[in-house]
Amino acid sequence: MSVRQAPKYQQNAPERTIDDDSDVEEEALANDYQEQVSYEDGGDYDLDRTGSAGGGPQDLHAQLVAAAQPLEYGASIELKIQSYDSYCALFHYILNSEGPVDIEVPSYYWAWDVIDEFIYQFNSFCAYRQRLAHTQPADKEDDISILRENPNTWGCYSVLNVLYSLIQRSQISEQLAAKKRGEDSALYAGEYGSRNLYQMLGYFSIIGLLRVHCLLGDFSLALKTLDDIELNKRAMFARVMAANFTTYYYVGFSYMMMHRYADALRAFNHILIYVSRTKNFQKNAQFDSITKKNDQMYALVAICVAFYPQRLDDTIHTALREKYGEQLTRMQRGGPEALPIFEELFRAACPKFISPTAPDFDNPQLNVDPVEHHLAIFMEEVKNNMFSPTVRSYLKLYTTMDLKKLAGFLEVDAETLRSWLLVNKQRSRQMRHSEGGLLEGDVVNSSDLDYAMQADLIHVSEAKVGRRLVDWYLRNLARTY
Amino acid sequence: MGIAFDVAPDRPENIDTILNGLDRYNPETTAVFQEYVAQQCENQTYDCYANLALLKSYQFNPHLTRDEATTNILVKALTVFPSPDFPLCLSLLPPYVLATTKTTTQSGPPAAGSLAEAVQHLTTLHTQLINADYAAFWSTLDSDDLYADLVADVQGFEEMMRVRIAVVVSQCMQEVDRSVLESWLNLTGAKFDGFVKEVCGWKMNEQGKVAIPLNKENEAKGTVVREDVKFEQFGRMIKRAYEVGA
Repeated sequence: MSVRQAPKYQQNAPERTIDDDSDVEEEALANDYQEQVSYEDGGDYDLDRTGSAGGGPQDLHAQLVAAAQPLEYGASIELKIQSYDSYCALFHYILNSEGPVDIEVPSYYWAWDVIDEFIYQFNSFCAYRQRLAHTQPADKEDDISILRENPNTWGCYSVLNVLYSLIQRSQISEQLAAKKRGEDSALYAGEYGSRNLYQMLGYFSIIGLLRVHCLLGDFSLALKTLDDIELNKRAMFARVMAANFTTYYYVGFSYMMMHRYADALRAFNHILIYVSRTKNFQKNAQFDSITKKNDQMYALVAICVAFYPQRLDDTIHTALREKYGEQLTRMQRGGPEALPIFEELFRAACPKFISPTAPDFDNPQLNVDPVEHHLAIFMEEVKNNMFSPTVRSYLKLYTTMDLKKLAGFLEVDAETLRSWLLVNKQRSRQMRHSEGGLLEGDVVNSSDLDYAMQADLIHVSEAKVGRRLVDWYLRNLARTY
Repeated sequence: MGIAFDVAPDRPENIDTILNGLDRYNPETTAVFQEYVAQQCENQTYDCYANLALLKSYQFNPHLTRDEATTNILVKALTVFPSPDFPLCLSLLPPYVLATTKTTTQSGPPAAGSLAEAVQHLTTLHTQLINADYAAFWSTLDSDDLYADLVADVQGFEEMMRVRIAVVVSQCMQEVDRSVLESWLNLTGAKFDGFVKEVCGWKMNEQGKVAIPLNKENEAKGTVVREDVKFEQFGRMIKRAYEVGA
């Protein structure tokens, strides 16, 4: 299951803060919900799916519909390959006809669903192929020989080619850049980009690229891809719930893999708060499927908080305690006992990583699951950070402390402790985004605890948060009116 | 303002053009990137974002892979520890290079001379560096000829590592025992004195300790985080004051 089956949910509610008037907010949400329901019932593209999509432009509409529909569960390998061929035919038609194709697409949702389903099928096909190549089960020999003969089916180059071509044809980057500068984006749209079909496919292809790069393990390029998109509630992707959800998941995950936990947490928090506020309006069957992705994100939040202790929004905090309370406590305690927890949560919450090339069927042992690869890299980071919680918890108690004495408390030798202190100090300095592209940021001290060593004497200092008076003052003042 | 991850001050224009266009996927550009990596090794510059593009190109076209370029990129990434560059490079390597006996049927250490062997050796170094186990880092580096081969292409590798370690030390310490610092920098006697005085600009004091001048990171001064008050917060109150006055 994945977000691809998420509710087609529309959200145009204005940006809100915690103390917004909740009645207004709920009303807006209710309206959105109505819209969504009518969309689902409207049957705009809810036509019967035609199995074969091989026809020409005559049955284009049927093709468009088919492209947005998920493959049935457990579809045969022939069906998966056939599906790939029909995507190729469709995109070829859209991209390489003489002049722009003249069709109006049903809605935003459609464009998102097409790109989403396209990547989902690519992802699961690669995962399936890799698994077969690794385990070589005897009952799947037919499948293996088919896969051997078609190494380029669902190839990485062709998937990227589709996404990049859609982006280029629609000149969506130019349009978004113009919008950012406050200019009229239509001036930059060109013959293709001024049409809804191209504009929307191009736009969601950017989100699609974010996802593909992340699946391939190129986290910096994934974030770089979003340079032209502004991450806020007015962005187009935020209008489609599934797109909104997917975007923040991959942005957050990429940040996490770049060791930027504060930024990762910000992305996860944003979307989780949003989901928890709107979930009362999503009590339909499709909502169940978003729940899994939601839980995955909470697992990632738990990991990030363990690395980067931070006060969370109350809603998130409560839900986190409910879902992963015990794991979080153990991770925050650190030490070798926490390692299996990190591993378990990472496995449960990471995307299904893929290798870009066809596996080597003749050397099964070379086809290691990419998830294991990324897990191994991630665990290095976890191990590195393993003793920081212990060090921090002791240092909090003192203003000055002798290194050897503290080493005695911790039952390690002085040299080990010295290294731990250096590690923890470096870990507390993190890149944090403030403005500009997602890859930009400043190095800040993420911890409220700081220290320096004067030979064997540790000087500890703390950043205290001063009393917050303004809010209190204003609230009381308002009461006297 | 920090430097964005995708920016490198010394990046030539032609590399920048490739990176920002679709040519980064063109197998023909691998030669250009390889050349650029060699250049970085030669003149001690560093451009992680471009190096990742080369690794990606290898990821897509395994037959083009040049092990030497891959290991050089990894060694370059070591010189900027503890930044995430090294793990980010690893992410783009084929999964089998890191696979341990646990996950594969293959047993024993990877074959001599293979990419997997080189990568696992470098990973050991990286782990020691991020764990601030510098003495172990130097002894590992000296323990095997393979290490010497791996870092041979990167000009000034040892010097760069010493400078990096010194930076970490300057962030955490105001004063450090000479013996400790000697083991961390893998230098003794006159060479040690020279490095500490001339490269770092630190002084020795009478007790045989090295004194590091105070900087923003190592002063350990308590601070109080105060709230930022924006004028807008008082907007309603001021509006109210007008209304009452009228």
